[in-house]
Parts: sequence; C-alpha cells; structure tokens
Amino acid sequence: MVEQTLHNILWLLVYPGFIFTLAIGVIASYVVRKVSALVQWRVGPPVIKEGRILQSFYDIIKLLGKETLIPRDAQQIVFLAAPLVGFAGVLLLSTMLWRISFTGQPYIGDIIVAMYLSILPSLALILGSSASASPHAAVGTGREMKLVMSYELPLALAFIVVIIKTGGTLNLAAIAASEPAPIWSISGFLAFFLALLCIQAKLGFVPFDIAEAETELGSGVLMEYSGALLAIWKMMQAMMLVALPLLLVMIFLGGFHVSTPWLTLVGILKYVLILVLIILIKNTNPRVRIDQAMKFFWVYCGIALAVAVVLAMCGNYYNISWL
Amino acid sequence: MKQQELENKLEQIKDKLIGIEKKSDTRIYLDCESENAPDVCRYLFEDVPLRFVIVTGIDAEHAFEMLYHFSNDETGTVVTVKAFIRERENPSIESVAPFIPGAEWIEREVHDILGIDIKNHPNLKRLILADDWPEGVYPLRKEVKQ
Amino acid sequence: MSWKMWSLKKSPWVFHVNSGACNNCDIEIVNCLTPKYDIERFGIKLVGSPRHADALLVTGVVTKQAKPRLLEVYRQTPKPCVVFAIGACACDTGIFRNGYHVAGPVDKVIKEEDPNAIVVFVPGCPPKPEAMISGVVKALAALPA
Repeated sequence: MVEQTLHNILWLLVYPGFIFTLAIGVIASYVVRKVSALVQWRVGPPVIKEGRILQSFYDIIKLLGKETLIPRDAQQIVFLAAPLVGFAGVLLLSTMLWRISFTGQPYIGDIIVAMYLSILPSLALILGSSASASPHAAVGTGREMKLVMSYELPLALAFIVVIIKTGGTLNLAAIAASEPAPIWSISGFLAFFLALLCIQAKLGFVPFDIAEAETELGSGVLMEYSGALLAIWKMMQAMMLVALPLLLVMIFLGGFHVSTPWLTLVGILKYVLILVLIILIKNTNPRVRIDQAMKFFWVYCGIALAVAVVLAMCGNYYNISWL
Repeated sequence: MKQQELENKLEQIKDKLIGIEKKSDTRIYLDCESENAPDVCRYLFEDVPLRFVIVTGIDAEHAFEMLYHFSNDETGTVVTVKAFIRERENPSIESVAPFIPGAEWIEREVHDILGIDIKNHPNLKRLILADDWPEGVYPLRKEVKQ
Repeated sequence: MSWKMWSLKKSPWVFHVNSGACNNCDIEIVNCLTPKYDIERFGIKLVGSPRHADALLVTGVVTKQAKPRLLEVYRQTPKPCVVFAIGACACDTGIFRNGYHVAGPVDKVIKEEDPNAIVVFVPGCPPKPEAMISGVVKALAALPA
C-alpha cells in the first residue's frame, strides 16, 4: 500500500508527471516561438547558441528568483491558492494521460474526468484575477468568464461525437485504441477541427487570447502576479501546451502508443501535427473581440457540431463508418 | 470658402478691431483689445465659419497677448485674433469656452503657465503644472527668475 | 555568479515608462520591439505590467509631476531589477537642464528611493534601435553577478 502510494507520487512528480511534462512543455513552447518567428520572416531565438531552446525554462527560473509582491487590497487566500489549484489540475491531467498512453490500461479516470481537469486552469485564472484588486484584472476576469462559458459546450459536443462513434464507451484507453481513428469520417473530422479551435481558446492563443494579452501593451488577468506565483502560472501554461494536444491526439487521432519504436514515432508526429496547426492558426489570425468569440462558439460551432452529432448517430445506426 | 469671400467677411467686423494685418496671403492677423476678443472669436467660429485650432499666450513687454488661431481649410489660410491685455498686474480675459468647447483645456493651460485669469471658464483647475507647484508662481512670465 | 542574476540576464522582460518625454524615444523603443529588430533572440519581451518586468525603460526627463508616479512604478517592480535611462533627457536632462518643471535626471530620482539601484545609460536623441539593443546587451553582459 505504501509502496503503491510512493509509486504514485513518483509518477506524479517526476515521470511522467511534473518534470517530464514540463520538459516537453518547455521544448514545445520553444517550437512555438521559433516557428512563429519564421512565419514572420525573422530569425527568432537561436536553437543551440546560448541555449535558447530552454528559453521558457530560463523565464521560470528567473521568476522564481524575484520577489513576490502581493497587493494590499487583494483577497490573500484566493490570490495565493488560485495558481496552485490550476497547477494541480494540469499536473493530474497530464499524469493521467501519459499513464494511459504508456501502459494502455485505464488509470484513475476517463473522458469526463479529463474534461473536468482541463477546466481547472481556466477556473483558477478567473479566481486569481478576480482576487487581485485591480480594475484591469477585473475587466479581464469578465471576459475570461464569458469565453469559458462559450467554448466548453462545443468541446463537450465534440467529445460526444467521438463517444458515439466508438460505440458509447467513456474509457479513454478504449477510445485511444479504436480502429479506425475517429478522424477518418466526416463527423469526426468536423469535430476535430472545431475541438482544435476550442483548445486554441483554452490555451490562450490568438485568435482567442482575450483574457491574458488583452490590450497587448497593457495588462491582463495576470497583472498583479509577480515572482514565484507568476512562475507557477507560466509552468501551468507550458504544461497545458503538452496536455491538451495530447488529449486531442488520444481522442481523435488514434492515441499515442509506445509499444514499438515505429508507433512512438507516429505518436510524436501526431502531437507535432497538432502543435503546428495551433501555431499556424495563431500566426495567421488577428485577435477577436469577446462578442465575436461568443457568437462564433455558440452559433457557428454549436450548429456545426449539432450537425456532426446527427451525422455520427446516423453513421452508427446504419453502420456507415465514414459518416 | 474662397480667399476673396473670406476677406469680405472679415471686413464686416472691422469696427471691433484695431487693425487687420496680412503678413502673407495665408496668414491674417486681426488685432483687437481684450474686451472685444470673445465677440470676434464668436463671429469667426459661428458666422464665417472657421475651424478653431489653438490658443497661444505670449508675455510681450508692453502687454499680454492672447492669440486665437482659426483655420480656413479650403485655402489653407490661418486667421489669428491677437487680443492685447494691457493690464499687467491682474490680467484677465473673457473665456471663449462656452461657445468653443475645444478651447477649454488650452485656456486652463494658459492660466496655469501665464496667470491670465479666464473669466466664466467652466472648469479653471490646474492642468499641467505639478500637484505640489506653489500657487501664484507663473513660470513663463518674464519677471520670474529661476 | 548568483543564479538570480544569471537567469535575469537570460530572459529580461522590459516595461516601458514615459516620465515626461517628447515621445521621440518612445517611438524608437516601440520601433525596436518590431519584428525587424527581433529582440526575441535575446529573450527580451515587452510586458504590460511592471510587476512582471525585470527592466524599466524610462524615457524623458523626469518632470515634477511624473516623479511620484515613476517612483510608484519602480516600487511595483520586483527586485532585482535594472533601470535603463533611454535618451539624452533621461541620462542627464538633455536640453531641459534649467527648466522649471524638471525634477532631475532618472538616476538621481531613482537613487532617492533606492540608493542601490542599477541604472544603465543609453544616450542619444533619440537613440537608434541598434544603439538601444547594443546598450541593453552590453549592460546585461556587464552586470555585477
């Protein structure tokens, strides 16, 4: 019993939990910076020289070394607890997903638990920014709340499409192992594309980065955070960059299997594909206003996904696999 | 409006002016005393009509001068009303802000820097000097030494 | 070398403060942050809040009105931090030397609040973006550990 608990803690903190995901997250955020730079016809941070591939890691270390200032009027308990809550959510989500991928057996949770855990970082952002007594953060809080309420429904509908297509199972391991992968069908492809846009909003990338970089030269929801607390937010963002595309890979693209080296390579390529799609959408679009974002998610995504759900149910009923 | 039409209109308020000076075709100065200045400005702003540009305050040796600049955008002519305030001890002039809302802040600035009392101004508070600047010290007056 | 200074040199985040400038230096700073000069190579990022910043880019001679605000922004920047005085006015009041509105050059004002502050001078009127980049990189390399 004690040995199992110690094993669990090791999985959470080192491999494949905190250290492993953070390392991949740092490299993934370097890839985001470098590809964005190349798309904008500039050079960007060099790969090997000065070790800039670990740029996000240096950011985090630097933030840990600065003093942490807490505003006098802030609600102190919530202010301090919010980043930890978000961090805990991402940590648990990434550990769960990696364990399911590596062992092929269900571990703790299924798709509903994954959805709940992926909401925790956004919720923590809302709580933390409303606890900082700042008018800038208050505006950002309102917008982030509206955005979260907008994209959670399409994401849930997209997952429902996949659940229907794989025969009604909620088990993430079974979904990841299903043949053929849900993307090779009309409803699956539609759901994948719209889920990708929802993930873009969840990660806080353009065109939906309304909360954080809201007035780019102004501030955002994290305005009053500094030092070690900001380091936790940055770690959370790096780990989300690993966990959420991995969730998409497992649900839509047929999972990340590691039984043979060839399958591992295919898995890595699937993850890189989603990362590249996110980067391209990020670099070719301007930021949208909050009312445009709400209309997009509620009206357009909602209708498209309702159509996808109907197609999936028809395909399941009549046994047409490409529908 | 065309240049000739503008000059005809300027002739009509000649009785309120000391003189009309044409430094060039596009630069016309209307000299007047400080009592007549708001009436001339109202005529230029509403009846001609011209676009209000800015106000300049000058501490000339013999008097304070308030210059109200108006622009005729079609020909590029700038018409300036030069109002002389002869009283050096307590200079004051009537405000044009009631009918030219855009002049409100620039008149506050002239009051801060030169100390000209603007009568009937809707909001004559300190604008550009520092919060702890002493009252009654007007930086751009000629006799103020550092 | 202490790890705090080492990591600060690797990833300095800047926040721009205008304490009474004519805006010329501000335009050049914003120019410097565009893709043409690409300072992301050095890990420099413009942040929107002084609480996230490591370096303050202060332009303009510090007017008496801007002085309490500049000191408030300095207090909100978590230490260790570096103050860059950009432009001739910020370095030593430039052409406004005996002006009635001047509270002093940037380093004198900041040293009133914190005598151990690190102030770096980048002269010019306005300094070219290349000069600013060169100044920032040299300063980061020469910072005490």
